[in-house]
Amino acid sequence: MIHTLSPRVVAVLLLPFAALLVVFFLLPLGLVAWNSLYDQGWTLKGYEQVATSGLIHRVLLNTIEISALATFTSLVLGYAIALHLAAKPPARRAPYLAMVMLPFWTSILVKSFAFTVVLGDAGIVNQLLGWVTGGSWHLEMMFNRFGVVVGMTNYLLPFMVLPIMASLLNQNRNLYLAAEIMGAGPMRIFLRITLPLSLPGVYAGVLMCMTLSMGMYITPALLGGRRDMMLANLVDFYTRQTLDWNVASAIAIVLLAMSGVLLWILARVQSDRAGTMA
Amino acid sequence: MKKIESQRQCDSHSGTRGDKQELLLSRRAILKVTGVAVGAGLMSWGPFVHAKPSSLTVTCWGGAYEDAVRKAFAEPFAKEKGVDVVLVNSADLTRMKVQVQKKNVTWDVFDSIGPQIMAGSREQLWEPIDPSLVDPAGLVYKPGKDYVPTYFYAGGIAFDPKRFPAGKHPTNFKELWDVKAFPGRRGLRSRVSENLEMALLADGVPPEQLYPLDVERAFKALDRIKDHVRKWIETTPETVTLLANNELDFTYSYLSRVLPAQRAGQSVQISLAQTLNSFEYLAVPRHGRNTALAMEYVAFCMRPDRQAAFCEMVEFTPNTKAAMDLISASARERMPDMKDPNSIIIDDAWWGEHYESLQRRFTEWMLM
Repeated sequence: MIHTLSPRVVAVLLLPFAALLVVFFLLPLGLVAWNSLYDQGWTLKGYEQVATSGLIHRVLLNTIEISALATFTSLVLGYAIALHLAAKPPARRAPYLAMVMLPFWTSILVKSFAFTVVLGDAGIVNQLLGWVTGGSWHLEMMFNRFGVVVGMTNYLLPFMVLPIMASLLNQNRNLYLAAEIMGAGPMRIFLRITLPLSLPGVYAGVLMCMTLSMGMYITPALLGGRRDMMLANLVDFYTRQTLDWNVASAIAIVLLAMSGVLLWILARVQSDRAGTMA
Repeated sequence: MKKIESQRQCDSHSGTRGDKQELLLSRRAILKVTGVAVGAGLMSWGPFVHAKPSSLTVTCWGGAYEDAVRKAFAEPFAKEKGVDVVLVNSADLTRMKVQVQKKNVTWDVFDSIGPQIMAGSREQLWEPIDPSLVDPAGLVYKPGKDYVPTYFYAGGIAFDPKRFPAGKHPTNFKELWDVKAFPGRRGLRSRVSENLEMALLADGVPPEQLYPLDVERAFKALDRIKDHVRKWIETTPETVTLLANNELDFTYSYLSRVLPAQRAGQSVQISLAQTLNSFEYLAVPRHGRNTALAMEYVAFCMRPDRQAAFCEMVEFTPNTKAAMDLISASARERMPDMKDPNSIIIDDAWWGEHYESLQRRFTEWMLM
């Protein structure tokens, strides 16, 4: 039973949400955009700094590198987890899903401190290593890029697992049966059916993780070394410490533009794929 | 499929009556609450406020600091003047700037550290201070044109005395830089102020000739320690927790962090042989509604008896010299000896002019 509403009714129903979006999203965003261009008169000073400052370039590069790395590890781990979850009957999936969602519900500050207990010099992993190898082995896993990527992956995983799992569950089981009847092995089924059909979920997950990680702040600050600074830290520096909102807004807008480009590329890829498949 | 659908409809029908009643009730309740909220909002809105101030809002840092401010300053002031003093936590300069820009100031007195106060002064957020308000002669560190330094906190080298007994840990910055004599994982802050001072002292600059800072020499000295610093610490609590977790051996930390941790039973200690002392300041924002009263509050906080009462409770040292005579011997014992040249005062006025460009350079230096 499908009800169709007249466009007018739909418009009225959507009004409160649209108003909310305007007040709490578009307005602040417009303010940031305005701040990036206006500082006691119209100016491009903020963008000039973004374009010419070696510091901002380096941090921008850092941000892209770290985000890509964290998204990649989330994808590899997240896909495996999603596959496992999708294969479970719904009743048994629930507790696993709760485990995946756990990082969602824990404060990022608490988690980052908790990682010290696992990854630190005196942490569980290193203690175990020291005990097994008689103290000759020791891994630097914190206050460097490794620590940042581990911390970020932990935060990003649910955002990767959920969309991939959704697209896996949406697949028509009959396709597998048909493929099996035609003599395809499990590897072939995965590569030819499961993986291609799950790509929309993968795209959604990658996009979300990439966008989220580009704005990350606390995790790199707590778990990173001196070279792991990200753009959000710089925005904070300019907003709160030097009160230079012009540059801060310009950086924020550049960050937004980068996310926008990413979104656009992924939308293109997805529509191309849809085109070739049809 | 159809069966499920119809059952769902049934469910929703059976619930309708009760729901509607609840809805009506809640609507009335909502109207009531909204009315009160709007009324309250109007009353606090500028034109409705009476000329005579009945309360003063002061920003604060929460925790033990807030308790001490309340007991030593806010409550006695409220009693003396017959007004309420409201303490607001987690106030930051960004929001202060917005308030002054919009000429809708709700914080009457801003309590903060040097870099914030100086940045605010540069942005002309603060009201000029009447020179007769406090007597500069009686102070350790002089007021600026639009801010008053209140009391200060000492920073020095913290360590775990169980792991590093006497003689095994550095006590001054020269020793902190000496990685051969004192091997260990070091933790410094990720901001430029204090680090440059430390570097210069480590490089042998006499404390009394520290300012104006020789920036080039400082960065060269920092180069020597760079690879021995395991963590450039972002948040202040970590200067103690990373020692306790055995992730670092020597950190730059603060008396006001180390002593409470000691009382909580942690094995941590701080050397007072050489300290960098940073001031806490009060400033009064422009376009405030209670400017005169706010100024009175600032003067009140500088009174020797109030300063003594405050520094008795938390790990600060008074700026008003006369307060020292009123402080108990046990509290005086933990304060750095300001007659010793190795108790260095951070020159926030110097930093006010250089902080921004130097922090940028420092951040770049860290990334290299």
